[in-house]
Amino acid sequence: MKRRDVLLGAATLAAPAIRSAQAQTHKTLVFGGSVPLTGAAAETGLNVNNGYLTATKYLNELLGGVEIGGEKYRIQLKLFDDASDPARATTLIQRQIDDGTDFFLGSFGSNIVLPTAAITERAHKPMVQTGGGSDAIFTRGFKYVFGMYPRATRQFAAAAALFKTLHPTPQSYSVIYTNDAFSKTAAEGVKLSCDAAGLKRLDTYELPQKPTDVSSVLGSVRSKTPDLLICVMHDEDSLLIARQMVATRTNVKLLFQGLGPQLASFRAALGKYSEALLCSTYWDESVPYKDKFFGNSKQFADYYHSKFTRPIAYHTAGAAACILTYILAMQAANSIDPKAVRDALAAADFETFYSRIKFTPQGDGDPLLMGGMVAQVQKGKLETVFPVAAKTADPIYPAPPWDKKA
Amino acid sequence: MHLIAQTLVDGLVLGGIYALSAVGFSLIFGVLHVINLSHGILVLIGAYLALIFSQALQVDPLLTLPLVMAVLFAAGYPYQRFLIQRAVNQSGLGSMLLTFGVALMLQNVMIWLFSPDMKSITPGYAFASFRVAGLTFDAVRVSALVASLVLLSCLAMLLKFSALGRVIRATAQQTMAARLCGVNVPHVYALTFAVSAAFAGAAGIVIGIILPFSPADEALWTLNAFVVVVLGGVGSPAGALIGGLLLGIVSTLTAQYIGPAFPNVTMFLLLVIMLLVRPNGLLGNAFAASR
Repeated sequence: MKRRDVLLGAATLAAPAIRSAQAQTHKTLVFGGSVPLTGAAAETGLNVNNGYLTATKYLNELLGGVEIGGEKYRIQLKLFDDASDPARATTLIQRQIDDGTDFFLGSFGSNIVLPTAAITERAHKPMVQTGGGSDAIFTRGFKYVFGMYPRATRQFAAAAALFKTLHPTPQSYSVIYTNDAFSKTAAEGVKLSCDAAGLKRLDTYELPQKPTDVSSVLGSVRSKTPDLLICVMHDEDSLLIARQMVATRTNVKLLFQGLGPQLASFRAALGKYSEALLCSTYWDESVPYKDKFFGNSKQFADYYHSKFTRPIAYHTAGAAACILTYILAMQAANSIDPKAVRDALAAADFETFYSRIKFTPQGDGDPLLMGGMVAQVQKGKLETVFPVAAKTADPIYPAPPWDKKA
Repeated sequence: MHLIAQTLVDGLVLGGIYALSAVGFSLIFGVLHVINLSHGILVLIGAYLALIFSQALQVDPLLTLPLVMAVLFAAGYPYQRFLIQRAVNQSGLGSMLLTFGVALMLQNVMIWLFSPDMKSITPGYAFASFRVAGLTFDAVRVSALVASLVLLSCLAMLLKFSALGRVIRATAQQTMAARLCGVNVPHVYALTFAVSAAFAGAAGIVIGIILPFSPADEALWTLNAFVVVVLGGVGSPAGALIGGLLLGIVSTLTAQYIGPAFPNVTMFLLLVIMLLVRPNGLLGNAFAASR
């Protein structure tokens, strides 16, 4: 037998297997991206990553994949650790675009999401993300990036609305924020919303990105005490402020910390002093939304707990919802063409267990449908106190002074 | 007047903690001429060990000092002897690259072991404060300052009065002469590194009780140590104390009178000025006189 015949025979025999493998490749839906699994943003990055993993596992293993345009697809994640480093993240994303990835999930932190979104935008590949809220992401005319929250300056509207319902009505506020992309724009949002709500602004304090001492700021707060002290920064810095406030008996009627109290570790570190702290939240297990995948929030949480020991966080749910949003958009478009999926995302108006999904023309979450809720620590647990439709407890106001919590 | 006094007190308390966090870095720089870029990770290892020991033994975190220092001493010796020294023997920059690499690796090991989540050590007096002459003192920060001063004094006495201290000083001042007198220089280098690692661990405990921490914070403590050493001078607890106190006071005065966003600006401005005007720091190199 000639060598050419052997090769031909082998090729004939292998053809069905090759075709099958090709078919399988075609039925794999790849989501690329980077997530901070190490570095400064790793704590929440891990929550985001777990959300992506939960949705993928559930859709692949329990539902056997998803159907789009009459074909069944299995989902494959190609997520890499960006080490909380924007430069590394951009390199990773560019490499994935070069390798042909069409759909992207977001990292955590506006400082990473912004430059990576610029790359996916240039390549006309959609990115759905739950980690970047800075206005800069949504005000540069990007058409392919979508966020699961309203932009930062619109995120405080719910809290300001809550303040107006409190009795006696708070009259004044001060705001403390750190010098980073998210916190700075979020502080702008606080000022816009609180000023619009008729609250008098006493002071604005900008801290370095990584503060180690806030004694002087708290000294100023004690000398000019507002009814509300609003802190917009990341978890670790929120804890530093809360601890120093307790130690120096810096009392205000209400302390709002945008990030921090939503974490069990934060509440444990403060113990009884965490009582009555307010924070933003975008999801909890009791929200009333339903979808055809998980059913409802409770079922999502139950599935998550069966797979992970790490406490669930709203970033986890938001990340899972990014994937569901993609699938719903692809089903609506009846296609996995990036341009068609982008258009379907822009026109999205559907429900997931996380919330009703609808984006503004600039790509951030609709402030009414996807705006935040306000939660308060009550007896060590996080209770939703606003909006009224979702609340699980009445807000405690004014909060007892630190001495009374001891 | 009251505000200035309160600001100065806050600065001194913060500065004492900076000083302790930098003294190990300073000693290694002064004696071994090695810029230890894994200093911050040693500080954090101290904080994590204090958290583990204080929870396991149900004791105050400051009482875990001997245990934490012993562990880091034991780890520091072979780290210098078998890794850093080899890098130093190869090239001048080798030790910097090696310690940088070790810091990155250990940071990831810590994430793997402890998760990237923030941790905090909460002793019983974590939220206590007291007032003296109208000034408010944060009890946990004051206890951290006292621990820092005691430890810095202990190190100063160790270097000045003990046999080990004499050998370290002799090696730092005249390495060749010390070798000719029979001093086992590689052993002394490793011992110096071990002592420095132990003090970095002690600093970790003190930092852990006043600040939340996570593996990502390691660079902050290496950078702070570098600034303190440039300000105060190399190789002595007194230099670290002066540099630390100066840094603390400058930070709080800047935050109070210029703006809370600016401490880093003045800190690095001071660093640049010192490097231009007095590159050996305020107290100079403790071992330079006899070199």
